[in-house]
Parts: sequence; structure tokens; C-alpha cells
Amino acid sequence: MTVVLVADDDADIRDLVAFKLEQAGLEVIAVEDGQAALEQARTRRPTLAVLDVSMPALSGIDVCRMLRADPATAGILVIMLTARVQEQDVEGGFSAGADDYVTKPFSPRELVSRIQALLSRTRA
Amino acid sequence: MRRNRSIGRLLTRAFGTLVLLIVCSGAAETTALVLQQRVVRELSQHVQPLELANADLRSVLGDAQRGLRGYLLTGDSQLLDTYHVARSDYYTSSRRLSGLARDAERDAVTKQLARAETWWALAENQRQAPPRSDLAAQYVTQGKPLFQAFAVENHDFDATLAVRAASLQNRSSRLSAITVAVVVALTLLAAATAVLAALLTTRRITRPLAGVVAVIDRRRTGALDSRADAGTGPTEIRAVAQAVNEMAEEADHARLAEAEIARMRSEVRALGYRIRAHLKVEDAISEAVQGLATTIGADHVLLRMAPGQIGVPPLASLHDEHDDGVLAELARADVTWLKSGDVWADGEPSGGSEPPEAERRAWAAIGGGPVLTVALSGGDECLGALTLIRDHGPAFSPVEVRLSEVVTADLGRGVHLARQYEREQHLVARLQELDVAKTDFMSTVSHELRTPLTSIAGYVELLLDSDAGEVAPPQRRMLDVIARNTRRLRELIEDMLTLSKIEAGSFRTARRPVDLATLANQAIAAITPAAHKGEVNLCPDLAGPLELAADPEQLDRVLMNLLSNAVKFTPPGGKVTVRAGRDGDQVELVVADTGMGIPPSEQESLFARFFRATNAIHQAIPGTGLGLAIVRTIVDNHGGRIAVSSQEGAGTTVTVRFPVA
Repeated sequence: MTVVLVADDDADIRDLVAFKLEQAGLEVIAVEDGQAALEQARTRRPTLAVLDVSMPALSGIDVCRMLRADPATAGILVIMLTARVQEQDVEGGFSAGADDYVTKPFSPRELVSRIQALLSRTRA
Repeated sequence: MRRNRSIGRLLTRAFGTLVLLIVCSGAAETTALVLQQRVVRELSQHVQPLELANADLRSVLGDAQRGLRGYLLTGDSQLLDTYHVARSDYYTSSRRLSGLARDAERDAVTKQLARAETWWALAENQRQAPPRSDLAAQYVTQGKPLFQAFAVENHDFDATLAVRAASLQNRSSRLSAITVAVVVALTLLAAATAVLAALLTTRRITRPLAGVVAVIDRRRTGALDSRADAGTGPTEIRAVAQAVNEMAEEADHARLAEAEIARMRSEVRALGYRIRAHLKVEDAISEAVQGLATTIGADHVLLRMAPGQIGVPPLASLHDEHDDGVLAELARADVTWLKSGDVWADGEPSGGSEPPEAERRAWAAIGGGPVLTVALSGGDECLGALTLIRDHGPAFSPVEVRLSEVVTADLGRGVHLARQYEREQHLVARLQELDVAKTDFMSTVSHELRTPLTSIAGYVELLLDSDAGEVAPPQRRMLDVIARNTRRLRELIEDMLTLSKIEAGSFRTARRPVDLATLANQAIAAITPAAHKGEVNLCPDLAGPLELAADPEQLDRVLMNLLSNAVKFTPPGGKVTVRAGRDGDQVELVVADTGMGIPPSEQESLFARFFRATNAIHQAIPGTGLGLAIVRTIVDNHGGRIAVSSQEGAGTTVTVRFPVA
């Protein structure tokens, strides 16, 4: 079963995403900060990570950059959740190595379809 | 040294000699004349009468002898009468001769008369004798040698007198010759002296004088370093040369002083520009203090600000001597005795205000050198005082005082401008801070609002998608309302954020050449699904390319807002026309719909924030009321104009015009 790591400091959103992804048949690891996300990514090796950009201490962008820097985790697909629509945030996310981004507020349905699109693209 | 004697003495001597010669000549002539006269008088009044008297005596005696002899020989008494006449004439003649004779001739005359008397004595005896007798003949023979003796004496005297006359005539002619010679010699000498004096005058006066005149001429033609030779020539010429040289020195001094003043003026002008160019009060003051010390020449410069002047350092000096230095006492002295426009310099008439005792004491403490204090004025207000002090040297000249006033006036303006500039800078900084704070606030607010909105919208979607189990129809309707309002809230947040960013000018720099026709086509393509859904007919009429210098994202927002408004407010079966084209140096974009229109009374408020037309609210057409405010702000930012014409129930036409350049 495909494992997806979800990192968001807002518990409601974390639960929402986890619930929707589990409904879509994915195994979800939900964490509340960047440090935990890094640890889980290293130990559990998820196929994909959904990272909130604005988390205290380690931001989603920092986590993404560190995942890409480590060969063991460099292959993990990353989707960023951002509350900002400004171009520099999006560019920052992509330059850190994100595969896609979704702006808040997002539709859970849309998030799932984007994840599935990414997964099917890499599988193919 | 003889050459250097004065012309006065030279001329005095020359004329003295001439006068002396003329006097000598006159004296010689007069002497000669007097001598001549004396000779002539001797000749005519003495010698010649003597000769005549002598001749007369001989003639008388001869007549007497001839008469007597004739009588004695002939006895003719007529002849005796002759004798008697001669006898009476003899007394007259002999007396005349004796009267004329002087000491030198007296002997000869006496001798002659004695001989004559001897003869006369014999003759008286003869006359007694009878004529033609032997006695008579005897007497005749006897009388003959006596007469002869008289005749010899008479002749000798006559000869002596003749010699005397000749000698006198000779003397007279010699005297004439000598006189002529002396007069000629003296005249020649006088002429020579005059010629010599003229030559000397020419050589010793005219030449040195010509030298001095040449120097004056050379100076006039620009050879300003020419000086007359004051070391040689007569005293007067040397004095003139000296005077000319002194005048030249004075003129050179005056010229130098003028050049110095001109230099100071230009320096002061440049200093004024520099002072006013400073945007910081401290820099302007420092420039003025340093510049004044250099340009005007002062050992100490102190600027004291009047009490109550804010935003200005209270004291400034050339080498910070106001801070425990030589200017410390003056720095503590009050400056309120000065009024705007006042100047106080020692030796100059003051402008009305007299420095107080404390001020004077402070000056004395510095050394008592020349002091100049100028009021620093800003408008009619006295901002402070600028004091220039020299340790030594001359008092401040009127020119220096005037120039210091000019610099101080420039400083006053400079301080005024700099303070104004600083106030404005402060205001701008404050506004920028506020703007940043506002942007940050908007950004934070939007972020903070988005997170809860994500949860609300996400969970509503889960419920509506029946992810959490089936939802009953009434519950679904209620969830739809929540979803719709969530969407509206989200749009409001987005629009507010956009508006705040556009108003802050964050996008202003992003202008680049864009084609409005291409952007319009993309916008039409984006709105087409919504138009289809609302059964609205889209009619594009684009004459591209239409190049503009604009921010493409903002232009896209204008297009999208106008098109979505048109589609939203147009009922099914209606039409939305999008027309774009060039009109002179402008690009015109027209979006016209056949929608519900805007009530005339509300058209003015159309661009106000959160304004929504009453008919739109009644028909529950969603909207934030910020769309047109955003459009209007973007159009304004691009230097364009927007106009709306609308007829309620018939449609609305929005016209936007952008300048091409």
C-alpha cells in the first residue's frame, strides 16, 4: 500500500487530509511539525509527502530541501500546502524541489486527484 | 652726487650768474660813461679855455708892443691909443688866465705874467720917451728881449696845454674801446651761460622726466610691474618718480584687494550652493562653519542656536572648541540679544542690538581679537547666531561682513530646507512603516483566515461528498449555503488582499510590453465555461496586436473582473461583447453586456469599495463589491481612465482607455 506522509501544525487540517487520503485508499502518517516529518520520512520512507509551508521551527520548504539533500529520501514526491498565493512562495517551494503545490483553502477532492496524478505519473 | 643736486638750485645758479653778468655789464658801461664825461669836461671846461686865454694874452701883449714900437718910431699917437687899449685889455686877459689856472699851471702862468709885467714896466718908461729919439730907439732895442722872454713863456704854456689836450683825447678813445670790449665779452658770457643752463636743464630735467612719463605710459598699457628710477636725477624728479612708484604700489594693492574680493565672492557663492545642497541639518552647518573659516578667514567659528530650536544641534564650532575649549564661555552665553537680520562687528555700526555684558566678557576671554556675529535667520525668526573670531590680525572688513551675512543667509535657508526635508523624510518613513505594517497585517489576516476557511470548506466538502455517510436533502441544502458563504468569504479575503497590495503600489514596477489582444483572448477563453453555463453569448471583436507598457497580471485581473461581472449580470440568452482597438495614442477596451444594468442613482458609487448595486443584491447574485474598486485602482496605476454607461434592464458598457506610451 502506498504510504503518504502528511505534515501540518493545524490538527483540523491534518485530520481532514488524513481522512480524505485514507478514504482514497492510501496509508497515512500524520505529523504536526517539520522535525517529526523528517524523522518519519527517514524511517518509514513514504512514497509521497504533503507538507504545510508555514510550520514553526522547520518549515515545509526546509523539510523538502533536506529530503532532497539526503539520497535516501531524495526520491520522495512532495506536494506543498501554502496559504500564500504570492509568486515567490510558489517559486521557493519549487526551487526547494517540490513536485506540486496546492493553495489554502483547497478542496480535499482536488488534493486527492493531484496526488493520484503524481503517483500514476511516477509509476508509469 | 653732483648730478643729483636739485633743479631749483641749478636754475637759481644759472639765473644768478646771468643776472650778475648783466649787472656787471651795466656797471662797466656806466663807469666808462662817467670817466668819458670827466675827460670831456676837463677838456672843454679847463684845457680849451686856458688855451684860449693864453692865446688872448699873447695877442693883447703883441698888440701893445706893436702899437708902442710904432708910436716910438713914427710918433703917431693913434698907435699909442692901440697901446692903451691893449693895456686895459691886458688886465682882463691876465685875470682870466689866473682865474682858470689850477695848482699845476699856476707856476707857468705866474712866470708868464711876471715876464709880461717886466715888459709892461719898461713899456711905461718908453711911452714917456719922445718919439723918434735915440732914447726911444734905445728903449725899443731894450724892450725887444723882454717881450721875447714873455713870448717864449707863453709859447711853452701853450705847448703844454696842447699836449694835455691830446692826452685827454687819447684817453677818451681808449676808454671807449675798453668799454665796448668789456660789454661784448660780458654779453657773450651771458649768452653762453644761458645756452649752458638750457642744455643742463634739458639733460638733467627733461630726460629723467621723460623716463618717469614712459613708466606711466607702460603701466597704462599693461606693464604693471614697471617702476620709475627713483635713485638718480635731480631731487624733484626723484620725488616725482617716488610718488609715481608709490601710486603704482597703491594701485597694485587696490587691484589685488579687488581680485581678493572677487575670489571671496565666488567662493561664497559656491559655498552657498554646497550648504543648500545638504539634506541633513548637521551637514549644512558643518559645511558653513568650515567654509566660513576658510573663505572669510577666522580662527574660531561658533554657531549657537536660539533656545527652542528643535531638530538642530544647539552648538557647533570649527574644532569643537565650544566643548570645554576656548569657546566654552561664549557657547554658554545667551544669543537672544540678536534679532533676525542683525549683524555685530567691532568697528562697524551695529544693527541696533548691542551685545550684553556676558557676551563681551566671553569675547575678551577668547583673546580680544576681532569678533563678528551674524544672526542666523529663518524667515523673520532668529534661529541663532554665527560668531567668527580672529585671534590676531585685522578687523573684519565691510566686504567680509557682507559676505559672512550672505553665507549665514544661505545657511539659514539651508537649515530651513534641511529641516523641512528631514521632517518630510520622517513622515515618509513613518508612512512607509505604516504601509509595511498594513501589508503585513493584511497578509497575516489573510493567512490566519485561510487556515480556518480551509477546515470549514474541506469538511463541508467531505460532508457533501458523502465521505462521512449519506446526507439528507435538507441537510445538503444547508451545507450548500455554508459552502457558498465560505466561497464568498474566501473571495472577499482574496480581493481585499489584492486591493491592499495594488494600493500599496507593490505591483507598480512590474510594467513591461504586453499585447492587450492576446491577454483579452486568454481571458475570454477562461470565462467561456462560465458563459456557457449561464447561456451567455460571448462576442469578441479584437483588432490585435495592441501593445502596452503594463503589468500583465494586473491587466489580466482587469479583464477577468470585467468579463466575469458582465457574464454574471447577464441573463441567459444575453450577449457580452468584448471590443479592443487602438484609438490614436490610446488603446481602448470595451466590455458591453445586455444584462440587468445599474440604477442611475447608484452609478456614481460604482467604484466604491464593498459597493453592490441594489438590483444585484435583490437577485442574490454573489459578489464582494471589491471587483470594480480593484479594476479602477489598476487602471489608475497605469495612467488610464475608466467610464461606465448603463441603462437599468438594458445593459452596461464599461470603457477603459490606456495610454500607449
